[in-house]
Amino acid sequence: MKILCVRLRNYRGIEEAEVRFGPVGLTVVEGPNEAGKTSITESVKILFEYLDSSKHRNVEAIKPVHRDVSTEIELQAESGPYAFTYFKRFHKKPETTLKVVKPKPENHTGREAHERAEAILRETIDVDLWRALNMQQGEELRQANLEKQTSLSAALDRAAGGHSTDPRQESLFELIREEYAHYYTERGNEKKELQVAQRAEENALNEVASLQRQFKDLEDDIDRVALLQNDLDRFGKQEVEIENEISGYQKSLDEIQKLEAALETARLKLDSERKSENAARLEKESRQDLVDRVNKAQKEHAKLEAAIASSGPAVQNAEEGLGKAEESADSAEKCRKDTETLLTLRRADFDYFNNKLHLEQLRERKERIDRARQEAAVAEDLLTSNQVDEKRLKKIREAERELVIARAQQEAGSPSLLLRALTDLTLQIDGEQASIGKNEDKVLSVPDRVRLTIPETLDIEVTAGARAVDLSQRFEEAQEALTSACTAAGVSDPDEARNAFEERREALRQIKNRDQTERDNLRDLTYEQLERKVIGLGKSIPVYPGERVSTPPLCLDLESAQGELRKAEKSLYDAGRQWEIARDTLNSAREVRDRLRESSSETRIQLDLKTADLKQAEEELSRARARIPDHELKEKLDKSTEEVRFQEGSFRDAENALKIKGPEKVKTLMETARDSLLTIRKKRKNAQTGLTEVQTRLKVLGEDGLHEQLHAAESRLEHVRRESAALVRRASAARLLFETRKDERDKARRAYVAPLREKIEQHGRLLFNDTFEVEVSEDLVITSRTLGGATVSFDSLSGGTKEQLSLIARLACAMIVGKDGGGAPLILDDALGYTDPERLKLMGAVLAKAGQACQIIILTCMPDRYRNVGEAAVVRMG
Amino acid sequence: MTRFLHTGDWQLGMTRHFFSEGVQERFAQSRFDAIRSLGRIAKEEDCRFMVVCGDVFESNLIDRKTVFRALEALKDVPIPVYLLPGNHDPLNAASVYRSSTFLERKPPHVHVIEDMIPIKVDDGIEIVGVPWYSKRPLQDLVAMATAPLESVVDTVRVCVAHGMLDSISPDPDDPAAISLHAAEMAISQNKIHYLALGDRHSLTQVGNTGRIWYAGSPEQTDYNEVKSGFALVVDLDREKVATREVNVGAWRFIERKRVDMNTKEDIEGLKRWLEEIDDKERAVVKLRLVGTLSLLFHDQLEELFVYISEILGALETRTEELVVIPEDADFAGFGFSGFASRTVERLRSDAQDAGPHGIKARDALTLLVRLAGKAQ
Repeated sequence: MKILCVRLRNYRGIEEAEVRFGPVGLTVVEGPNEAGKTSITESVKILFEYLDSSKHRNVEAIKPVHRDVSTEIELQAESGPYAFTYFKRFHKKPETTLKVVKPKPENHTGREAHERAEAILRETIDVDLWRALNMQQGEELRQANLEKQTSLSAALDRAAGGHSTDPRQESLFELIREEYAHYYTERGNEKKELQVAQRAEENALNEVASLQRQFKDLEDDIDRVALLQNDLDRFGKQEVEIENEISGYQKSLDEIQKLEAALETARLKLDSERKSENAARLEKESRQDLVDRVNKAQKEHAKLEAAIASSGPAVQNAEEGLGKAEESADSAEKCRKDTETLLTLRRADFDYFNNKLHLEQLRERKERIDRARQEAAVAEDLLTSNQVDEKRLKKIREAERELVIARAQQEAGSPSLLLRALTDLTLQIDGEQASIGKNEDKVLSVPDRVRLTIPETLDIEVTAGARAVDLSQRFEEAQEALTSACTAAGVSDPDEARNAFEERREALRQIKNRDQTERDNLRDLTYEQLERKVIGLGKSIPVYPGERVSTPPLCLDLESAQGELRKAEKSLYDAGRQWEIARDTLNSAREVRDRLRESSSETRIQLDLKTADLKQAEEELSRARARIPDHELKEKLDKSTEEVRFQEGSFRDAENALKIKGPEKVKTLMETARDSLLTIRKKRKNAQTGLTEVQTRLKVLGEDGLHEQLHAAESRLEHVRRESAALVRRASAARLLFETRKDERDKARRAYVAPLREKIEQHGRLLFNDTFEVEVSEDLVITSRTLGGATVSFDSLSGGTKEQLSLIARLACAMIVGKDGGGAPLILDDALGYTDPERLKLMGAVLAKAGQACQIIILTCMPDRYRNVGEAAVVRMG
Repeated sequence: MTRFLHTGDWQLGMTRHFFSEGVQERFAQSRFDAIRSLGRIAKEEDCRFMVVCGDVFESNLIDRKTVFRALEALKDVPIPVYLLPGNHDPLNAASVYRSSTFLERKPPHVHVIEDMIPIKVDDGIEIVGVPWYSKRPLQDLVAMATAPLESVVDTVRVCVAHGMLDSISPDPDDPAAISLHAAEMAISQNKIHYLALGDRHSLTQVGNTGRIWYAGSPEQTDYNEVKSGFALVVDLDREKVATREVNVGAWRFIERKRVDMNTKEDIEGLKRWLEEIDDKERAVVKLRLVGTLSLLFHDQLEELFVYISEILGALETRTEELVVIPEDADFAGFGFSGFASRTVERLRSDAQDAGPHGIKARDALTLLVRLAGKAQ
């Protein structure tokens, strides 16, 4: 939209004014303060917002003070395809006209004109954004405090919320928020009022429930009273019935009691008669017992007498048998003792011979030991003199072997002399006697020199050459070595050495033999023990024959002594057997005799006792018969028996009479009835107590006005419920409204963010450089500026930069207002007061560039500030 | 000719949930005032006695205060009064008539009918009472009371009873229903000469004898009562009977079962009708509203109700069939645009929902309109 011309008449302090604006680019409206510059922008708002008849205080405010005149506003403008003149007269003779010249002519008046103008606006521009922009015009930028940005968001809220453009008034959406906040916290939780309402409802409900319970309890009590009264009547009747029953049973019981007394009497009589009968029977039985006792004693007495008569001979026989047995036993014992004596003798004889033999053996063993010891002593002596041990012998042998070798070498190396006897001949060779048979050859080696002497005939001396002398010398050395070895061993030659070695070995063997002989012959004894035994036995054995009894004679040798010993042992065994048999026989005879003697004695004692017993019984019987004769006793018993039989009949009759009455049944019934009576009385008492309790309760609680209380509580509950429901409904409505509004608002804000940012950056790059970027929040405020990659939050920017960015933001806003991209007039009222001259110059370029896209109207009292805005129309006011 | 006053169903202590505390008190006081009015009428009409046919009290469990006030009012009645226990105040264990409060303060001329034995009121006049002993009797008590009676030749007998006659009972299987036939037989056999009934709150004659009447309640208690607020002056002898209704009640219960509500004119029409109600303080009005209203008109209607309910005894409204539909006009003049318009559109769309969500959306719109008005 572009404002072409505004004409005012009687507007505030202005009587008449007309301002024409350049169709594109900038228009600078110059004029001192109070010249009415701001009225131009305000009048455009008033023109579109209010009907000519409006009494709104904003409309009232434009009325000239102290003048009763009408105010006129006329606007020539273009918007989208439309070009129109819009006129309104307020206060007096209100009038509205709209004359559209493009795209086709239209004429409207009155409300129709107002609505058509509004429709043209809606069709061509974003009315909300335009209104928001209008609300900002010349306000925030002029504020000294530039800490806050121009609140486009708040302006949009106010614009969308209705006609009120007065920022001093609360916006609709602030009211919606307040309404919501009345019920909910910022986090959406319920506030106290809602909670209190819910609690109040719960309390009221509890009160009603409590009273209903009390009411019901009382109603139940009323029913209970009726039931308890019924119970009391019923129990009363039952009590009477049971009492009557008890009375009937009592009569029967009285009769039964009489019959029981009669029965008891009969029982007593019967018992008495039975006792009498029993006494008579006992008496009779006692008499019979006495008679039986006498008879029995007599029989037993006779039997005992017979037994005593027969026991005398038996005892005599037993005595005799015993005498014989004693004799046999004595004889057997003597025989046994003789045999024992003989056996002792024979055993001594055997020992004698045996010891004798043993002594010889011991002596032999001792001799063997002694001999071995002697031989060993000789051997030990030899060992001390004989030094030829194995080592020495070996040495001698080696010396001997060396000598043989030396001799052989001498013999081989020295000249030899063959002697052949033509006859048996005796000669001396080197002084030694030698003989040669006839035709016998004898070779002599001449190691050095040999001298042959035929006695008395010839003396021949043969001498060997030089080598033979060496060999001979070696031979001699060997011979000396042998001699030396033999001498060291204490022998004269090797043969003797060998003999001495054998002797030494023999001596060693004998010493060893002595040890073995000692072990073999001493066995488990020491030599001293052996020696003591030999001496002991040597003393004892020779004296035995002299000390021994003469008969029987001593046996000749050990073997016969052993035979006699065996014989004596056998005899003793036989005599022992005979003695044992005789002794057993004797014991048996003695036992028989003792038993018979004891039995006889016992029988005699029994007879004495029985005699006394019989006498006593006979006396007792006599006394009893004297008192009551036997026949009287029998008569008495018979009589008693008859009486008992009679009493038994009487008792049975009484018993039958009682049985017919069924006493047990009647007693049981009586007891049951008495228990029932107690139970029913208890029940009646309980019912009476219950009734009294309930009646008391009813009396106490029945007059408390529970009926009214309950009704009052129910009314309260209904009231509280209604109130609570209404409150909840109001709160829900507030919440829904708040949330729906917020949702839609956020959506709308988001739609503005991108184009706004684009336009801000487009124009900002003129002022800063190509790296200029901004962040625009959903609340449509610049949150930060980025320049050369460095981002600074809006609040941290300088006052001048803030002002410039705010102006650019407003420019951007003005540019996106037009739906066809044409924008809306941007009115700046003395902006850029904080901008330095350099930036002012750049801002001039920005405004000039923006002026190509939308109309910019600058109201100023300082025209110099805008000298860098390029080509601009200038209007002077005041 | 014997003249007596026939009344019943005083329902003293009755409460109504739709009354505010103050109105409830007025309503209660009116019922005590009615007793005094009956006393005055009885005196003016020279009645020999007064029979109150049951439900003298709303309940046996009423407040002592109610009993005090009832007895205080009865003191002012200058003739013998015979009170019959009914289904609301049966002669059971909690009977108000046996309470110490009642017994200690009962004026001597006030009698409680406690059994069915004929009571000699005066020479030649007897009352046969049929009291209720429980809330749910299981037989026709009137038939039970009249069956053993002998016909009388020199006495006029008034049977005082409570309960529904079988001919008008809504429950045909009620064992306690009073047989009209048996009652008429008793009348024809000269056992009784007039059956004074209580329980039905509307003045009603039953049968053709002219001797069986419900006197109705002296004060109206509910909307469905056809003719309440009356008592009967009865002139009776063996040959003739004459009844005359006398108005006692001050309260009215008015119910309009359908009030069409679609336009501004409808609202204004209802307003006029309400304005024309006499003695509004004692009028209880119940309205069932049917129709469709815009937010604006609904708001106006609400305003009307707020105003009128302050004046009336009570106002009950049933709005289940009153649909509130937001219309364009509701939002015209507020200048909503942009997201505000879209908010309205969304809520209006939701408001078409028939369920609770729709109600909530309509409430939200109503709130929006209210707040927008406030913002302006």
